[in-house]
Formats: sequence, C-alpha cells, structure tokens
Amino acid sequence: MAKSDDGIHILQGLLVFGNVVIGICGIALTAECIYFVSNPNGLYPLLEATENKDIYAGAWIGIFVGFALFALAVLGIIGVIKADRTLLLVYIILMLITYAFEMASCITAATHRDSLTPNFFLKQMLERYQKSGTGNSSDKSLDERLTQTWDNLMLQNKCCGVHGPSDWQEYTSAFRVEHNDADFPWPHNCCVMNAQGSPVSLDGCKLGVSGYYNSNGCYDAISGPMNAHAWGVAWFGFAILCWTFCVLLGTMFYWSQIDY
Amino acid sequence: PAPPALLPYVPRLSPMALPGKLTATTFALERPRCIFQQHSSASDAVWLVVAFANASASFRNPPSRAEVPLYQQLPTRGSYMTLETAVGTDPCPAPGPAVLRVGGDTACGAQAGQDPCNGPLPSPGPYRVKFLLMGCQGPKAESRWSEPILLPRASSPSAIDPRPVRAGSSDVVVISSLLASLGAVLALAVLSTLGAEVWAALCHQGLGTDAFARRSYRTHHIPPALPLPTGCGGSPPGLGCFASCPPA
Repeated sequence: MAKSDDGIHILQGLLVFGNVVIGICGIALTAECIYFVSNPNGLYPLLEATENKDIYAGAWIGIFVGFALFALAVLGIIGVIKADRTLLLVYIILMLITYAFEMASCITAATHRDSLTPNFFLKQMLERYQKSGTGNSSDKSLDERLTQTWDNLMLQNKCCGVHGPSDWQEYTSAFRVEHNDADFPWPHNCCVMNAQGSPVSLDGCKLGVSGYYNSNGCYDAISGPMNAHAWGVAWFGFAILCWTFCVLLGTMFYWSQIDY
Repeated sequence: PAPPALLPYVPRLSPMALPGKLTATTFALERPRCIFQQHSSASDAVWLVVAFANASASFRNPPSRAEVPLYQQLPTRGSYMTLETAVGTDPCPAPGPAVLRVGGDTACGAQAGQDPCNGPLPSPGPYRVKFLLMGCQGPKAESRWSEPILLPRASSPSAIDPRPVRAGSSDVVVISSLLASLGAVLALAVLSTLGAEVWAALCHQGLGTDAFARRSYRTHHIPPALPLPTGCGGSPPGLGCFASCPPA
C-alpha cells in the first residue's frame, strides 16, 4: 500500500503544481488582455468603422477567462489537497466551461486577424478618410475618429497610405472629392514636417522629392500591433488550454481514485 | 520675319524617380538647359506650349505676346501657352529647380483673367508640349514637340477585394483543429468517468469489485446482536420477551 500512497502523493503534487501554473497564466492572460483592450496604439477606430471587432471580443473574453482560471486553480489546489470529491467535481465542470469560452476566444481572435489584410485597410482608408457630407451622426463620428487615427498614424510613424503615397493616385477616394489633385496629390500629413508641424517643402512634397515626403506605407505600423494582439490572445490562450487539458485529465484520474 | 529656328531638343518628362511627376492633373517636365543660348537676347522669354496631341499639328506660333493663347482657351483652341520665363541678362542661367511642373497653380482659371497662368489640366490628355522662344518681334526659336504624355486615370476603390488571399490560413486551422480535438477528448473523459461512477453505483452495491482494485475501502463493520428490550434477561434472541409466566 505504501507504493500506491506514494503514487497518489506524487499525483497530488503534480496536480498542485499544474494548478499553480494555471493560476499564474490566468493572471497573465487577464493582464495582457486588459492591455490590449485599453487600445495602446490608438488603432481601435480602424476596426470600429467596420463593425467587425472580433479580435477585441477575443480580448474581452480573455479578461474574464483569465480571472476564472485563477479562481478555479485556487479551488483545484484546495480540492486536491483535501481530496474532496465534490470540490473536485465542481472544479472539473467549471473548468470545462471556462475551456469552452477560451476556445471560442482563441478561434475568433485568430480568424479575425486573418481578415485584416492590406487591401482591407486600403479600401477603408480610401472610402472614409476625410469623408464629409451626409450620413447619420454615428457614421460621421466614426469617420472623424478614423480620420484622426490615420492622421496620427501618418505623423507619428512617418508613413503615407497603406502601401505608399501612390495609393492616393491609383484610386479615387473620399479625400480626392474634398481636395484637388494638383494641390494634394496625397495628404499633407505625408510630407516631412518641421518642428512647428508644417511641411518643410510643400512643392517638394507634392512632386515626391525624396527627403520631403514619406515614401513608405503604414501597413507595417498597423499590422505589427495587430499581430502582437492576435498572438497574445490566440496563441497564448491556446498554450494555456493545452496545459489545462493535461491538468484536467490528471484531475479526473485523481478524482476516480479517491474514496468516498 | 523669318520663321523660328527649329532646335533638335525634344521635351520630356523628368527622368528623376518622382512619384508626383505624373498625376491626374499635373506633370513635371525636365527643365531645358541652355538650348536657346544661340538665339536668345536679354528681352526674350521662353514659353511652354501645351496642346492636345491631336491638335499639336495644327498649332500656329502666335505672332506676338498679346496673341498668346491662354489657359482658359484650352478647351476651345486645343492648346495654350504658359510658364513664361524671362531670359534676363544671363542667357544660360545657373541650374535652378530641375523640373517644370505643369498644372501646379490651382488659383488659375477661377476668374476669366487675361494673364497666362499654369492651371491644372482638365483631362488625362494625351498632351504634347514644346518650348518656344518669343522675342519682341515674335517667335525666334522653338523646340520639337514631345512624345504624347498621357495622364493616369484613378480607379474606384470599390474594385478592391479586401478578402484574404488564402481563406483559412494555417494558424486558424491549427488552432481550431487542435482545440476542437482536445475539447472533445476532455468531454469524453469527463463523461466516461462520470458514467463509470454512476454505473458502478447502480450495479455494484456495497463492496466494490476488482474494477476499483487499489482503492482502499473500509469494510462495513457488522454490529453484534440487536440489543434486547429492557426487562428481559438472558433469553435467546428471536424469541421475544415474555413476562415470566405465572405457574399454572
């Protein structure tokens, strides 16, 4: 009997360790998702305008799932140490529910990330940047926020358009409706600015003389944070779930071994 | 007066790599250097003639500055002259800006002015240009016509397809399939464990069988004989308890 007692104790130790790791990862997931939801790069209006915010839904679910994982890990540790069947049964059922939610969060974040192609942002920028005119007020405020986001993006990252300034020449746009082509082949935010915030040389910028305009596109500045967001929510959540799977299997085996 | 001298120079778009040298309403030409050196004098001016490509053959040099066709007359006459540059005292000026931007003055054309100006081009063209040296007596020298310059037309953004090139990339497939299979295994494990417990509880009452071999269980301790009712003493169990019968 001593050997199986040792085996049970080893299993208990492993389960406690597994739950400690789950608790720590749960806290990390919550903290990370709060960071993403707080919109540190100011890119949220780009997604808000399309009414497809699944990648943010994934982060919101992640906040609550992370906290639930931490609470359930504490419950699991107590249940394993006390060898209490009821506690462990509650732990297993609630963990399964949390598992299902985290699965949903991972898959939606990964799927939505795939839909954020350069053409997606290009079409949105051309149709909405500096758009004025009729439309209901919620559309107008979305357009204003999108315009502000793009202005900040181009000024801070010293970039222009999605692929480059040629985006504004290849396609007609809401911007083109408002500003004539001769004065604004591309927005003035694409020009290199001096310390006062005005273009160093407007003529050089309009012609495209290197050194007076930003020649690279903004897609890298957008996709970098979006990729980090998707990796953080989808892949980190996936890693947690793999670990949780093993711990849950171990817990179920342990549950079946303890007596009434 | 003698006809203007025809110089071999052919105007062309700026060879520099400038993304703004050909837009929907403007284009940038290479500035000619000293091509009129032999013919010019201090009071002359170099003009740029812009004409639709199909109207360039019928263009006639204006005899004096007063008859120069204006920007506003482009739709009717098919040509105009602009970018007047005085030769000045130095016939071959030091290198200035390397390009001449045609169409850069958006204030032009708003009012029906009488001065030549450099307004944006109204249509994609194609256009042909040439340089004309005008003196007090009329044109003195001209360059050849350029090749036709066609301005680009922008397409509509509704033609852009925002969908990803490969639907369902490897990331999503890996995550979804692995998570789904893990979830299914977990659900099966829970159901089977619970089911086995329920089945054991229903079919095997009391002591367990070999299925739960290593489980330590307490045997149910069978208590000794039932306690006798008070007032009796020493009677064997099962016979009840009778008050001692009075002898008959």
